[in-house]
Amino acid sequence: MLFDLMQNTLDGLAAGASYALLAVGFTLIFGVLRRVNLSYGPAIMLGCYAATLVHLHFGAGLLVLAIVCVLATVLAGAFVERLCFAPHRRGSAIAAMVASFALWMQLEEAAILALPKHLYAFPGLYEGAPLEVAGFTVRIEALVMLGAAVLVCVLLWWTLYRTRFGVAARSVIDSPLAAELSGISVGRVSMGVFALASAIGGLAGFLISASVEQVTPMLGMWSTLKGLLAMMLGGLGSLPGAVVGALVLGLVEAHSQWFLGPQLRDFIAFLLLFVLLAIGPRWMTTR
Amino acid sequence: MDDYAVGVLTNIGLFGFLAISAYLLLLAGEMSFGQQAFFGVGAYSGGMLTAMFGWPLPLAAIAAMGLGALAALMVALPTLRLRGLYFAMATLAAAEMARIGFELLHWQVEIEGEKIGPEGTQGFRSIRWVFENGVEPGAYLAIIWLMLAAVVAAILALERARLGATLRGVGEDPELAAALGVDVTRFKLGVAAVAGALAAFGGVLYAHHNTYVEPRNFDIMLGVHSLAYALIGGLGTVFGPLLGVIVDLGLLEGSRFFQGYRMIVFGGLVALLLVFRPRGLLDERMVRWLKQRFS
Amino acid sequence: MAQATLFLILALVVPLPALAQRTQAELACTPTKTDFIYDCSIRLMRGGQPLPGAQITVGADMPSMPMAHNVKPVKAVPGKHAGEYHAKLDLEMLGEWAVKLRLSGPVRDQLILLYDFDEKGARQVTLSGKPLRK
Repeated sequence: MLFDLMQNTLDGLAAGASYALLAVGFTLIFGVLRRVNLSYGPAIMLGCYAATLVHLHFGAGLLVLAIVCVLATVLAGAFVERLCFAPHRRGSAIAAMVASFALWMQLEEAAILALPKHLYAFPGLYEGAPLEVAGFTVRIEALVMLGAAVLVCVLLWWTLYRTRFGVAARSVIDSPLAAELSGISVGRVSMGVFALASAIGGLAGFLISASVEQVTPMLGMWSTLKGLLAMMLGGLGSLPGAVVGALVLGLVEAHSQWFLGPQLRDFIAFLLLFVLLAIGPRWMTTR
Repeated sequence: MDDYAVGVLTNIGLFGFLAISAYLLLLAGEMSFGQQAFFGVGAYSGGMLTAMFGWPLPLAAIAAMGLGALAALMVALPTLRLRGLYFAMATLAAAEMARIGFELLHWQVEIEGEKIGPEGTQGFRSIRWVFENGVEPGAYLAIIWLMLAAVVAAILALERARLGATLRGVGEDPELAAALGVDVTRFKLGVAAVAGALAAFGGVLYAHHNTYVEPRNFDIMLGVHSLAYALIGGLGTVFGPLLGVIVDLGLLEGSRFFQGYRMIVFGGLVALLLVFRPRGLLDERMVRWLKQRFS
Repeated sequence: MAQATLFLILALVVPLPALAQRTQAELACTPTKTDFIYDCSIRLMRGGQPLPGAQITVGADMPSMPMAHNVKPVKAVPGKHAGEYHAKLDLEMLGEWAVKLRLSGPVRDQLILLYDFDEKGARQVTLSGKPLRK
């Protein structure tokens, strides 16, 4: 029993690390622009499909695939920013969100047209057996994911607090108007934030595809949902919060999957979000 | 009319209920990601009442609407004080819980040697009231559009009356509405219940049109589409959401011209449209202009 | 219109008894040279006997997007054997489709068959809703 709890916790942290990567990108966009980008996941899916295409045609190795995945996701992200967010910067948040939903449909269809099968194999991150530590099973992929999540958080902190772009981005967060008046181009910052978030998303998509060794058309919706869920659980718009929310989501899912089964796993995750929102603890609903 | 035209028109009518349901909440200033849940509640409960318990469809539809309203109230009560994205996510969470609830629902009764009822992820077959009672597809289409016309007429009347002004007032400036003596929370609860009942009614009609429903029918895609239809068509009049449905299902899907590329065309069109008309084709200004023009 | 209204009122008062004996259908599809187009044969059975002479309209829906993504229905033509019918299905993409058979003629009914279409053909779906991760 105790053993199961510990093993579930390890598995949960591993899943949580992948959610953290998704949620950090999501939160970056929301934190700076105060807009929800529903096509965040589908852009990641497009990136992973592009990488799969390159893999199928040229048999490229993991490093090339990672680069293709990140680049394609950034391109898709830039497209979304231009069409859905730049025009609505001062306008309606709902219009921007619905526009991003429309592009969700577009990106997903483009990916499916390129690769119409229901499932494609993706090269695995690591071929060997999982580690055995004191009786616990630890997948190497999970360690890589966790390492990547930590690295991304450190780099992001450095970008936000130690670079000129970070200063600009933070002043846009504080007040877009004041930032604009002090000569910061809000449009450029927004584009930069989108590119950064998409790059993180592309990396997340690559690591997730390589550790489950497949891509399916479900990837887009799955990424958007998990990213949104983790972001909401952690309190909107806070980066450390998003990481905590992602880990909590991973842990809750792992334990409820073990004790209650896969259907109730998703149920519990949504129930947790619903109850938290309904009770509305201050850390969650202010900001 | 050929079968295909009847099918497309039926789908437009059915989706119309859901789009109007999302539209009502948008007018009240709330964006729901969860109207598909009440559509599902209607489809399942209505289908169960006719197929398992032998109720006639009209009675089952009334009961399903009641259940839809009740479910909508249960979701709205703890969440209505949330704003914007928080409300949207709370309704999404509730709707996904409902969908998983349908996956867990196993309840079958034996009727003439056949087990009938929801079978979890395997879905719910044999909702055959319409067939067993000899309703032709054309007649069923007429029923759907008659009902939709009644709903549209009721909302048009409501918009003309003071209630309509209150609804838009609550949506645009709840503080002002409260200062003018409107009980905003109770008003929004009422709107949520009506929207839930409407969605459930669409669901009943859908289940009996299709004779088969399954949990996946009611996932987030359905809800976000209905929200998008309301916004594309425009928030100025109840014809807006219908126009949104017609543009997608009628023009793009129906023409078959863009076969395979429909979503690419639709997605691009919608994003572009929202750049120029962020409150949809038939927004308030357009409606005012049309009214001046034609009256 | 008036007919429909009258019908509604009637239906409220007299619930009709259900029909006996269900119709059963089996589907076998092979892909053609063109992507997403399948040659399908349908076998209709009723009470263990083949059911000839039915008029079948075949359509298809995607379960995860009801009321959209529906395929233009086609009429099936009778095959060599009794109870056998043929139709060409033009799907928009691979994956799971709910194939809808609408019967008229001697029997009026609607049958729903869940099949997963891939490049090899179509297989009946037994369990829907596969999760992405284990």
